[in-house]
Amino acid sequence: MKPWRLPPHLLLLLPAVLILAAIVVIPLGLSLWSSFTPFRLTRPDTMYDFIGLRNYARLLGDAQFWSAFGRTVLLLTVALNLEMVLGLGLALLIERASRGQRILRTIMMFPMMFSPVLVGFQFKFMFNDNVGLVNNALQSLGLTDRAIPWLIDQNLAFISIMVAEIWSSTAVFAIFILAGLMAMPRDPLEAARVDGCTPWQTFRYVTWPFLMPFAFIAMTIRSLDVARAYDIIKIMTDGGPARRTEVLWTLISRTAYSDARMGMANAMAYIAILLSIAFTLIFFRQLSKARSQIAAEW
Amino acid sequence: MTYSAKLAALLGGSLLAGMAAAQDLPGSFDGVTVQAKLIGGQQYEALYARINEWQEATGATVEVISKKNHFELDREIKSDIATGQLGWCVGSNHSSFAPQYPGIYQDLRALLPEDALSGFVPATLDAATLDDRLVMLPRAQFDVSAVYYQKSLYEDEANKTAFEEEYGYPLAPPDTWDQLADQAKFFADPPDFYGTQYAGKEEAIAGRFYEILKANGGEFLNADGEPAFNSDAGVAALQWFVDLYAANAVPNGVPNYLWDDLGQGFASGTVAVNHDWPGWMGFFNDPESSKIAGNVGVAPPPKGSSGARSGWSGFHGFSVTEDCENPEAAASLVWFLTNEDSQKMESAAGPLPTRSAVWDHIIAEAEGDEYRSEALTAFQVAAEGAYPVPRSPSWIEMTNVVYPELQAAILGDKSAQEALDAAAEAATNVLMDAGEL
Repeated sequence: MKPWRLPPHLLLLLPAVLILAAIVVIPLGLSLWSSFTPFRLTRPDTMYDFIGLRNYARLLGDAQFWSAFGRTVLLLTVALNLEMVLGLGLALLIERASRGQRILRTIMMFPMMFSPVLVGFQFKFMFNDNVGLVNNALQSLGLTDRAIPWLIDQNLAFISIMVAEIWSSTAVFAIFILAGLMAMPRDPLEAARVDGCTPWQTFRYVTWPFLMPFAFIAMTIRSLDVARAYDIIKIMTDGGPARRTEVLWTLISRTAYSDARMGMANAMAYIAILLSIAFTLIFFRQLSKARSQIAAEW
Repeated sequence: MTYSAKLAALLGGSLLAGMAAAQDLPGSFDGVTVQAKLIGGQQYEALYARINEWQEATGATVEVISKKNHFELDREIKSDIATGQLGWCVGSNHSSFAPQYPGIYQDLRALLPEDALSGFVPATLDAATLDDRLVMLPRAQFDVSAVYYQKSLYEDEANKTAFEEEYGYPLAPPDTWDQLADQAKFFADPPDFYGTQYAGKEEAIAGRFYEILKANGGEFLNADGEPAFNSDAGVAALQWFVDLYAANAVPNGVPNYLWDDLGQGFASGTVAVNHDWPGWMGFFNDPESSKIAGNVGVAPPPKGSSGARSGWSGFHGFSVTEDCENPEAAASLVWFLTNEDSQKMESAAGPLPTRSAVWDHIIAEAEGDEYRSEALTAFQVAAEGAYPVPRSPSWIEMTNVVYPELQAAILGDKSAQEALDAAAEAATNVLMDAGEL
């Protein structure tokens, strides 16, 4: 009788499976397990105290957690939409440029080259109420004689963070959409012009449907980034003051490392992951819809 | 551990007992390697140059395996506790962080002779003792605050007259928190000039609140370890912050300010009075870094309504882990880095020492330097009444739930009483979750 051997195709897959298990599955499994425990970093033995869904149950009734959750959704929605509109505008302008398009494309990508931590410090300084550029400019121009609390006021702080996020990442949308514009065949545009379409009608019914898949890919990528928004907010406001700009990841990191309550932080993180999955699903569905529409029309 | 290493450690330990007291070389540890996790940063580095001297004297080697700021080091140590990787020997520690690491550090009284410890300021050694274990030896990085002020404002005759007319007592550097508030409101001319400022987030504001609360006769935790800061003394303490913010006597960005913002703000000349740490002493009077150099006065920390001065203090130190294979060598290194010579070297740059003899030394050195003498006298008064944060492992976690409520009161979202009641409830939950209640 021949000894049993692993089929070759499984044998060949085994290294990849083992590496994936070590890098992804085991840490995920451990963090999921710890979300069912009162695990504290400073008391490792608590990793073995199973408390079932108590962390999740507490989070369900935790107003601060849900405020942070809501704020994250709001940030996602507003930032993504504004980035898309601005990115579209930028891409259309650059596509129109008959000279220096390469230089413009490079300049457009500058903000993406800065680390988010640097962007955070840069905008924190700009929006500083006392020595910041924005207030000094407004005061010098005679537009105000008071120090506007950009990073303190509920709405202004949120807007300031949004400005930093948008400044640093609008280029992602612009690049994707520009790629779409450059790949777009010219015939339908010429046909639309011959048929007497206005520029708006050409854009609305010809250009935009073609660009939509590109925009949704950018949306998907950026939604994961924004849903994990941490660096810029951590530097600019750290979720404060008085929790006015708290988002999921500033809350989770404080709970995990400052408070050392890793079990609770992991429970929060798993709920946050659901949010990312939801946004990703929405955009993938939109992407498939846009693709089928293009396939049908073109 | 090899037999020879054990023997060396044993010999070293006994040598250490004899030599430490005499400010001499702390033992012989040939072939021993001591791994260390140290706080990094410009102001802490000079001391580490002395590690070479210790290596040459003892024959041991120091391997610095991590050098980070204290918040990052704190996270790393917590991760080490979680993963059981505490085989390194010497770690930088801080009085505010130490209670969070129960049982990971050795009692240094068991490793060092009593007379090796006799030169330290007794109150500081008490503050470094948790559950009857001396968990760290304090280095010359002792922090307690005093009041820095712009002298010219207090010498101006027009200011003196106007202030006395408005407030009914002569203008002089503030001796109480109420006087500081009056003067801050008097000097404020926003948005160009502010009366004072305070750190507005994290442990920074919780600590400032804690010391005004104590100066008002209140307690953060009562004798049973329950949060008790939502008392009348607590409301009065928080109201101090609220009133200054409402009167625009402080920059309206203070809820986001931390220590660097305060230091830079005062040095920019746009703030009249600044309650701050000794580390800024040189910076404020240096024309290279400060617009008010030569115009800075220093007064002891203000008193609260109980008549006691504020004295929230903290200090850096070095600890030896329980899992260290060569604790005698590690204790020798820790002692060496905190001995008189080390403290004289560190405190020459400004930081306050934790040894009585070094205090005498730096005061004698400052003779003839009016500013430094005045500052050291003020900080010495502050050090006499200094006290650490409550010795709860959950102190940092409690401050994380307290400070957003303090901010909510300052920004007018809640009354002082409402904010403190909510903070006390949240802090109670923290203590209950941690099994401390």
